[in-house]
Amino acid sequence: MAETFQNLLLGFSIALTPSILVYAFAGCIIGTLVGMMPGLGPLAGISLLLPATFGLNPIVAIVLLSGVYYGAMYGGSTTSILVRIPGEAASVMTCIDGYEMTKNGRAGPALAIAAIGSFIAGTVGVVGLMLLAPTLAEFALRFGPPEYTALLMMGLFILAYMSGGSTIKTLASAGLGLLLGMIGIDVMSGYTRFSFGIVELGDGVGIVPVAVGLFGISEILLTAGQAAAVKVQRPRLRDLIPSREEFRLSAGPIARGSLLGFLIGIIPGSAHIISSFVSYGMERRLAKDPERFGKGAIEGVAGPESANNAAASGAFVPMMALGIPTSPVTAVMIAAIMVHGISPGPLLISQQPELFWGFVASMYVGNVVLLILNLPMVGLFVNLLRIPYSYLYPCILAFCILGTYSVANSMLDVWMMLIMGGIGYILRKFHYDLAPIALGLVLAPMLELSLRQSLAMSAGDYGIFLERPIATTMFALGVLLFLLALKPLIFKKSRDWRKTVGLEGEQG
Amino acid sequence: MPASELSRDGAGNPAPWRLRSDQLSGLMLILLALYIGWENRAYPLGSLQEPGPGYVPLLIAIFLGAMGLLIALGGGKSQRLTAITWPEATRAIVILLACGVGAFALERIGYRLTVIALLIFFLGVLERRRPLPVALVSLGFGFISYYVVGDLLHVPLPRSPWGF
Repeated sequence: MAETFQNLLLGFSIALTPSILVYAFAGCIIGTLVGMMPGLGPLAGISLLLPATFGLNPIVAIVLLSGVYYGAMYGGSTTSILVRIPGEAASVMTCIDGYEMTKNGRAGPALAIAAIGSFIAGTVGVVGLMLLAPTLAEFALRFGPPEYTALLMMGLFILAYMSGGSTIKTLASAGLGLLLGMIGIDVMSGYTRFSFGIVELGDGVGIVPVAVGLFGISEILLTAGQAAAVKVQRPRLRDLIPSREEFRLSAGPIARGSLLGFLIGIIPGSAHIISSFVSYGMERRLAKDPERFGKGAIEGVAGPESANNAAASGAFVPMMALGIPTSPVTAVMIAAIMVHGISPGPLLISQQPELFWGFVASMYVGNVVLLILNLPMVGLFVNLLRIPYSYLYPCILAFCILGTYSVANSMLDVWMMLIMGGIGYILRKFHYDLAPIALGLVLAPMLELSLRQSLAMSAGDYGIFLERPIATTMFALGVLLFLLALKPLIFKKSRDWRKTVGLEGEQG
Repeated sequence: MPASELSRDGAGNPAPWRLRSDQLSGLMLILLALYIGWENRAYPLGSLQEPGPGYVPLLIAIFLGAMGLLIALGGGKSQRLTAITWPEATRAIVILLACGVGAFALERIGYRLTVIALLIFFLGVLERRRPLPVALVSLGFGFISYYVVGDLLHVPLPRSPWGF
């Protein structure tokens, strides 16, 4: 524990340097604005800002991008509460009771509780990351290719179990992503696969064009015909203070949402989205008078907002400790770190303590910045919502082209982004979850390499996965969850967990 | 919707069979899987003990095909294809085409001119906004974004052959 505090002090000595503070501050502001704009969620925001971080040092880059991440999580809640437009998918549940509170003249307390809940959950998440990631990284030093194969397989199985919508469709989306990940040079044999004669495809398909296309462009294609700017309430500073009763009602949901969100954040998939749904469902079930939900219950804002912010921190645990992204956002963050020649994985924390602990400390700082920044400035931020969407979306499109092109100065990436935008648009119409595509794309090369390395180690004996306790346990756990995911499909009477939290049919 | 309603119309006659959304998407996935399997012939499969470069793609294609089949088979109760509305489709296609033209032009006439032209098209032609705001937004965005990203952040952006 003493060592942890010593490391944390090291982190704060880095995070509190003026240049890092400025970037944390800038990241939070950009993130908040990005989160408020429909069509630009945290993923698209981070992807677009990625090229701007190439010239920065790795600590600054990750501080800036993570500021954008949790800033966007917060920004999304503001639009949900004030105008019933979820800036990003994780804020959908906040719309329900948050907007009802606005209609009841309680927009201020809803915003304040969302901010306080996000702050507490973010802090709980950072503490969890700080305590869990180094331990997990130490444990992961025992991992060889068979363990990584089992871990990645388990990740895909969990993805199926925890998917927001249809399990089969989620698996199909993951399959599409895995296929995309097969494009490019096979590192073990040197064959260039599925490149269709395009030399640039030898390097494979990048995560940024796929992410921006699937999540940014497809959203714009779906919403481009929208009407003019919406009427927005501008709550005054003195209206923001919640009543004592509202504080009392919010305490439990914030605590539960924080813990639940962090745990869900560690597992693969659209964790921040799922966590907000699960939290809302749980709060409704635990409430003495569940009929208040949907009519402006503050618990319906406190729980989901805390959960999605804690999940955002939880997602950094496997990213930092194992080098494995569990969400498209962390996949882009890994790309950002790798540009600087740093490979996330079990050795990162011991070999790059400044990076890890500086990042952890900057998250504490970022949470404070968001709380200080967002509540007093909410009236200023909501002005963005007054801009008609017909002016916003062309600028967002131009940003998408600019951001995607500048990652690798590649026109192919721009074409790929547009193609993925079209595919994403159609898949959303057919209710397919898009996050597994981005995840599959990133996991496919890792999975294939570790599988083939494992077989090379064992001279082709698949028993290697059963001889090693860690790999066997992970496989068994993954298969168990997969079977549980399939249970409702085979036994019609079996109750799906999604139904209990109102998540059924929620995709895209 | 009860099965009886799916198979019979209001007068009790058997309703004509119509493709449903999941059936179509499942079939598309199967076709994609078959295409990948076909393309995969170019790569050595290796063996179960020593997989070659074509092994894992084939496994994934089989997996995708199986998922497509399950989706198609279970798609009988999904929404009708006609229930999926496409009110924004024309605009979406125009946007994609315009972006495609923009992508084509980007390295030929440079970032600034491309973005200005794109914004004039979106705002002036597609959204029919007044000329003055269109000009201000297009020129402002084109120049300011170039200054911030290209000059301040040192991200190399394409210039036109005229150095602009």
